[in-house]
Amino acid sequence: MNNHPHPEKERELPPETPLDPGSQALSEALRSSFAIVKVVMVALVVLFFASGFFQVGPQEQAIILRFGKPVGEGREALLGPGLHWSFPYPIDEHKKIPMTAQQQVRSTVGWYATTDVQEAAGTEPPAGPTLNPAVDGYVLTADGNIIHVRATLFYRIDDPIQYVLGFASASNVVQNALNSALVHTAARFRVDDILTRDVAGFRDALTQRVAELLEQWNVGVSVDHCEVQSRPPRQVGNAFDEVLKAEINRNNVLNEARSTANQTLSQAAAQAQSITNAAELERVQLVSELSSLAANFDRVLPEYRKNPQLFVERSLNETLRRALTNVEKWSVPPAIGGKTTETRIWLNRELPRSAPGAASTP
Amino acid sequence: MKRTPLTLTVGILLAIIFAVLLFTFQVRTTQVAVVTTFGKPTRSISEPGAYFKLPWPIQRVYYFDRLTQNLEDKFTQDFTADGRTLLTSVYVGWKISDPQEFFPRFAGGSVQAAENVLSGIVRSVKTATIGRHPFSDFISVSGGGTNFTAIEDEMLAGVRAQVEANQYGIEIEFLGIKKLGLPESVTEEVFKQMTSERQRLVQQLTSEGETLAAGIKSDANRRAAEIIAVAQGQANEIRGRGEAEAATALAKFQQNPELALFIFRLRAFEEALKGRSTLIFDRWPPFLDAFMGVTTNAPAR
Repeated sequence: MNNHPHPEKERELPPETPLDPGSQALSEALRSSFAIVKVVMVALVVLFFASGFFQVGPQEQAIILRFGKPVGEGREALLGPGLHWSFPYPIDEHKKIPMTAQQQVRSTVGWYATTDVQEAAGTEPPAGPTLNPAVDGYVLTADGNIIHVRATLFYRIDDPIQYVLGFASASNVVQNALNSALVHTAARFRVDDILTRDVAGFRDALTQRVAELLEQWNVGVSVDHCEVQSRPPRQVGNAFDEVLKAEINRNNVLNEARSTANQTLSQAAAQAQSITNAAELERVQLVSELSSLAANFDRVLPEYRKNPQLFVERSLNETLRRALTNVEKWSVPPAIGGKTTETRIWLNRELPRSAPGAASTP
Repeated sequence: MKRTPLTLTVGILLAIIFAVLLFTFQVRTTQVAVVTTFGKPTRSISEPGAYFKLPWPIQRVYYFDRLTQNLEDKFTQDFTADGRTLLTSVYVGWKISDPQEFFPRFAGGSVQAAENVLSGIVRSVKTATIGRHPFSDFISVSGGGTNFTAIEDEMLAGVRAQVEANQYGIEIEFLGIKKLGLPESVTEEVFKQMTSERQRLVQQLTSEGETLAAGIKSDANRRAAEIIAVAQGQANEIRGRGEAEAATALAKFQQNPELALFIFRLRAFEEALKGRSTLIFDRWPPFLDAFMGVTTNAPAR
């Protein structure tokens, strides 16, 4: 750049005297334009080196490639958020890697044709009698049923160099690993296990299979967890609902039977209690009665021994007096002269009357 | 003269830059390259870095991605060994392993052209592999999916063998079945089958519930009867105990059975006449003997 003004000046020097105004103006113009070129050149050089500065955002990291090779190994090659400098292009290059704490992909097979918007608004296209393999996704279960399953995989990038520099589209690979795992896992679970009985088991098996595939395919990511959603095809939704209802009904019947059983048992327990209580009462009564009789016997025995006849008469009369106080007494005279008499007595009248007259003898 | 060294340095620097541009090239870590000499591939580079070459008309460098490329197979229909139709789609990861072989095989070393050839291979290997396996190898509870994995491995081996045999300079990294399906008309049949299976389940649940409920109830009844029987046994035992206790009292009465009997009779008589009762005598009771002959209502009639 500097060699151009040089010959210019040498040519200018010898003919110093015959200076016509035209050429003088021209040389002035050249001189100033060269000055501008110089400034521009310097500015370009500064710019060239300044272009090596680059910024890494909060959710990204960067790798520097020197002559095409990554600088540093593994995690050390990563440049965190902030301002960085590398040699400009032909020497160094930098590549940015989006690094959210957690990446996620959703499976693309296994669900019928719908969109999130339609789903949220509840305006999914109605289900036809069949599933068109071109648009409707589904998986086959181990017992030959068709169901819809979709999974969201959450994963972290462990080896960003492999993830970014090893694959044309790593997230696509992860997604298809998820798809493949979904098909594979569904094919070894029964429909009821996936839908209701072993939801967690299915999810764990799926997660394990995805992790296995990603490891095998060397994608440089590690699986965090999976979220799985499943439902029977809409074409047979009613039939599945019926089963659910039958299950609820069955539980109701069982609960009812259990409460009846409990009732029966508690009733039986109460009855048993009353049976033993009654027996206990009888026992106590018997024992106390006999012991009181025995005591009485002891008391009267000496008296009886003195004069049995008198004692019998006395206690008999006493007892009769006591016992017959509230008793209605009727004496029917014996038949006189062998004639048969019919005697009618009105028993159980409402009120006991003092006046006799209820008896009649024909 | 003062400026000559500077000029010279700049000149040399420019010349060096020019030469470097002419005689070197760099291969990124994401690339492989092949160098052609007068159009003939003479050198392939698969390690990243800077390399020398002869300038343009003599040698030229062609770059290719060494990234793993994704090949998504179409969802196509094949027959299993037991004659069932099955729709499958596989997912293949492949990359250029030997650019020197790869470059001349495909027009301009185009990845697209390679994918076309590769999907043809995948398609035929897939058909052949599926034809060797029964439908039950794809879906089954047993084996924990090992049959399924075996099919994938078999397909991978088949594709690898063909790619190697043809020397495409391609390496198959992995292969997985990403979609399984049935022809549209079959899905309707499956739905019918599923519906009838659900109906069977409904019936099973209903009858199971009834059976279990009846079992629970009859079990409860049996246990209730048991409880009562046990209680009655206990009651008998208690009564027996009472009688045994009473026996000691009975021993006392032995002193004079005549008096004891008399007392028992009196007691029983008194007990019997508690409450409302009516006594009818067919004769003048002896305890009223004293009144006999004094007054009587008999002559009144």
